[in-house]
Order: sequence, then structure tokens, then C-alpha cells
Amino acid sequence: MSHLRREIVKLLFQRRTYVGWLGLLAIPVIMTIALRLSSEQPSEGHGPPFFSNIAGNGLFVPLAALAFLSFFLLPLVSAMTGGFVIAGEAETGTLKTLLTRPVARGRMLLAKWFVAVLYVGVGLALVGVGGAVAGGLIFGFHPLTTLSGGQLGMAQSLGTIALAYLIVLAGMTCIVSLAVALSTLTDSSLTAAVGTLVIVLILEALGQFSYFDFLKPYLFTSHNEDWFNLLRQPVSWRPIWEALLTYAAYIVVLVGVAVAAFRRKDILS
Amino acid sequence: MTDREPRPAQEACVGPRVVLSTHQLTKDFKSLRAVDHLDLSVCEGDVFGFLGPNGAGKTTTIRMILGLIYPTEGHVQILEHRVPDQRLDALRHVGGFVDVPAFYKNMSARRNLRLLGRMSGEVSEARIDEVLDMVGLSQRGDSKVGSYSHGMGQRLGIAQALIHQPALIILDEPTSGLDPQGMKDVRELVRELGRQGTTVFLSSHLLHEVEQVCNRAVIMDKGRIVVQGPVSELRPARMSVKVLTNDRPRTAEVLRRLLGPDAVLDGGDEVHAGDEFLRFTCGDDLVPEIVRQLVAEGIDVRAVVPAVEQGLEDFFLELTGASSKADRGHPDSSRESTGAER
Repeated sequence: MSHLRREIVKLLFQRRTYVGWLGLLAIPVIMTIALRLSSEQPSEGHGPPFFSNIAGNGLFVPLAALAFLSFFLLPLVSAMTGGFVIAGEAETGTLKTLLTRPVARGRMLLAKWFVAVLYVGVGLALVGVGGAVAGGLIFGFHPLTTLSGGQLGMAQSLGTIALAYLIVLAGMTCIVSLAVALSTLTDSSLTAAVGTLVIVLILEALGQFSYFDFLKPYLFTSHNEDWFNLLRQPVSWRPIWEALLTYAAYIVVLVGVAVAAFRRKDILS
Repeated sequence: MTDREPRPAQEACVGPRVVLSTHQLTKDFKSLRAVDHLDLSVCEGDVFGFLGPNGAGKTTTIRMILGLIYPTEGHVQILEHRVPDQRLDALRHVGGFVDVPAFYKNMSARRNLRLLGRMSGEVSEARIDEVLDMVGLSQRGDSKVGSYSHGMGQRLGIAQALIHQPALIILDEPTSGLDPQGMKDVRELVRELGRQGTTVFLSSHLLHEVEQVCNRAVIMDKGRIVVQGPVSELRPARMSVKVLTNDRPRTAEVLRRLLGPDAVLDGGDEVHAGDEFLRFTCGDDLVPEIVRQLVAEGIDVRAVVPAVEQGLEDFFLELTGASSKADRGHPDSSRESTGAER
């Protein structure tokens, strides 16, 4: 717990923490205001998924924002956050300051990984809450209409939104874990973050070619939109569970690699 | 010279226990051997100087002692704990820093000390106040570290090394970047720690600093120990002396008689107000006899200047090789070239 407390204190003392969170909070708010001010409402198929539903129901704002952000901005934030975990501290020299203390490297890395995930999670929560509040204030709250045409109750609607956010957070945790693993192999946080994004893009590209269809179930990037299944009636749970299992496998392997690499790493920075 | 050669760790401390020792400690970076089968020992209560030119392997050795890098061969022993195998147990007894001390710049010095100190156990606010006072930062303890000068950062580095009252303190060039008063303060602090019985391992490339502060030292070069022993024994057996008299030719005559006809007397161009310097090198036990003889010959001896510092410098360079000291491709020297090390 002391490791976690220390990492959380460090997170809260960084200005960029709040800049990142504010930026994420601003996006659904801006999205809502822009839509309200626009004379033309988006039609089906234009803009991110669920964008055309917003004008009729503010509860679609958090879903539209999630779909919009999970395409690029959230992976970017996740890669940067994870990339800083070890390499960023190596750059600033504080890694050696920490490691001259009696602290187990593996535990320290796990605490840092957890706080990086927590950072992305809080960012996502801000997107969700900011989107729901802005959408509700401007367009009103109504029960969600599912992709199958049915309607969910208000409580079920909110639960579905929360679940969607948790599934996306699991996907982003894969990216954080990949970035943390790369962060243990370099002393440049930028290299770790860019390396992560390059790998994510390669995985996404692989998923686009039918030749590599056999790989698709095993690529975590192929499950980015599986949370849409929450909006079917009945909910199509199978792809959601497959996505979560794939995410879990990646997370375990990547964090394991990160811990193993960090425990043997020579700290030369 | 044989009495200055490295001795096995356990033999070096007669009476006090060995606090720190290295055993055949070796580190290779690819094909480069940065530290080569290093055997040294630091006794309890020592203020131990770790001398060497830039790139000698000092920082690499300290990193291995602190468990930051893994040795290729050998191990470190801190009290009864082996590093790297028992790194956590060993580090509970150690405080220190390597290279430039680094802190969280958005936090105050006090919060940094609290955060780091608690990694080594409970640390009271009173102890934080005490160490801030010891290093002269009590007035700036609540300022963000980002606003600190380099010298203040060095002082804070020492404060974080002391915060948990460790048995062994390792300081890597702690006076680097300090102004003369700051250097004096830090050296006095290190001496005071030594007086209190704290064992201090002080890395430096400043001979006079080690001479002022330490009781034992090693001189290291190219990853190996060149000399190890009490600082007083590290002085060259032959020392360089300048003598100032009112009669240079007769002084030279006396010196040649005492030192032999082939003695090198370097009068140089140093002529001062009618008196003449003569510089010569001799065994340090011969100097009193030379002065007695000069006075007996009726020569006015105005000054005899034992050029101790210069002698040590010469000795140091003689031991470590003057020509190749700047850059030998060692990790330590490569860091220096990028400005990361002083």
C-alpha cells in the first residue's frame, strides 16, 4: 500500500496530470456545445458512432465521446502515461533516487502500472461524467435506445454506459501495459510512447487485411468496438467476454515482461 | 609500494567491523571492462575516500554498491548482507546518491524527504527538520525543489542520504557544483559525520578534498585499485619541496652534497626580491636535515614550502597515467562527456 500511496502522491503533484484530465473532460463538453450550436444535425453514419443520436438524448454524449476518443486520443494518452512509468523517471533521474532505497523493483513497477491505469481510468470517468452532465443539461436525459431498436430503463442505461467505459478501460490497460513494458527497455519516455503507438497501429493494420483474419481474435486492437454489443437486445455477451479474455492475456504477459525486464535492468540514467 | 597494494577486505579492518566490502567486483559493458575484480573494504567509522580520475569506474562501482546495476562477477557486502542478492536488506543500512541527486521538482524539499525517507522506515517531521538544518536548507525546506540551485540540490541529496540515520553513507562527489563556502560546509559536515561514528564512503576526484576529510582511501584507475590505505600513507614517499634562501648557489651546493651530485635542482625562473627559490625532490625525512645544514652554513632560510598538493597531484597522475585520463571510453567518462557527471 505504501508503494501505491507514494505513486498517487507523485501523480497528484504533477501539473500534467490535471492538464490531461482537463483535456479529456473538455472533449465531450466541447462536442456537446458544438452540436448544440450547429444549425445542421449530423445524420446517421456521419461523425463517430452514436453522434447522430445525441440531439435526441444527452445520454448518448458519453457513448459518442467514448467511441470518438477510443479511436486515437485515449490510446495516445494511455501510451504516454505508460511510457513515462519507468523511462520518464529515468529521464528525470528520480528512478535511481527511488532505487537507492530498500524497495522491491517488481512491487514498485506494479504500483506504477496500477497508478498509470488509474490515471487513464479517472480520465475516462471524467469523459463519461462530463459528457453525461453536458449532454443532460443541453439535450436532456432519456432512456437509451439500443441498436436493436428497444429502449433501456434509466438505471440500465447508466449501467450500460458504465460497463462500456470499463470495457474500454480494459482495452486501454493493454496499451498502458505495452507502454510500461517498453518503458523498462528504454530511458526515453517518448521512445516508449511512440513505440507503443507504432505497435498498436501495426496490430490495427494487421486486423484490416483479410489475409490475417486468423490472427484477428488474438489481436487486442480487434476488440476495440466490441463494447457496442452492450447496446444490443439481448446483449451479445460472447464477443465482450472474448475481448476481456484477450485483454487479460495481453495484460498478464506484458506486465510480466515488464516486471522481469525491470528486475534485471541496469539503472544507468 | 607493496604496502599500498590492495589487501583482502577482512584484513583491512583491525578491530572495527567491515561495513562495506567488494569482492572481485567486476562490471563489463559489452566488450568494455568498467570495473575489474575490485576488492576494497570500508571499516566502521571510516571516512573513506574513493579517488580516481573521471572514467576510472568510481560511479559504476557505486551503482553496484547501491544495487542499481548488476555486477558481471563478484559481489558487494554491506554489513552481513550481500548485494545484489540481499539488496533490500543491505539498503536499509545505506543512504546516499550517485551522480547528480534528483528529486521531484514539483514537491517541496520537505515532501521529497518525507516520501523518500518513508521508503526506508518511519521518519518523523522532527528528523526532517533536523537534516534540513544540518545541510543548511531549513529556510527553504518548504520551497519547491524546482526552484533550487544546483548547490541546493546537492545539499538536499546529502539530507536524503541522512534522513533515515543509516550506518553507511555513500556520497558521489558531493561538493560538485558548490561554491567555496558550500564546499567547506559539506566537508565539515562529512567530518562531523565521521566524528559521530557514521561510516562515509566519499567519491571524489579532488585529492585535497579526500586528504582534508578522509582517514582511508583508495585510488582507482581503469576499473582497478591502484593504491589503498590510510590517507597519510597515500602521500608520495618522496615529496617536492621549494626552498627560499638568500643564496641560491650555496644552497644548491648544500643540496647537492646532501642529495647527491645528480640531484635535480629546479631553480626555474622563480626569482623573488633578490631571493631565489630552489625546487627539489627528496624523501620527506630528509627535509629537516636539509634545513639544519643550510642554517649551519649561514644561509638565511626564508621559507621551506612542502608542495604537498602538487606532490599529490603528481603522485596521482603518476599512478593513474596522466596522458589518458580524459576519456577512456568508460561509462563514467561517457556520462561526463554528456554533462551528466561533473
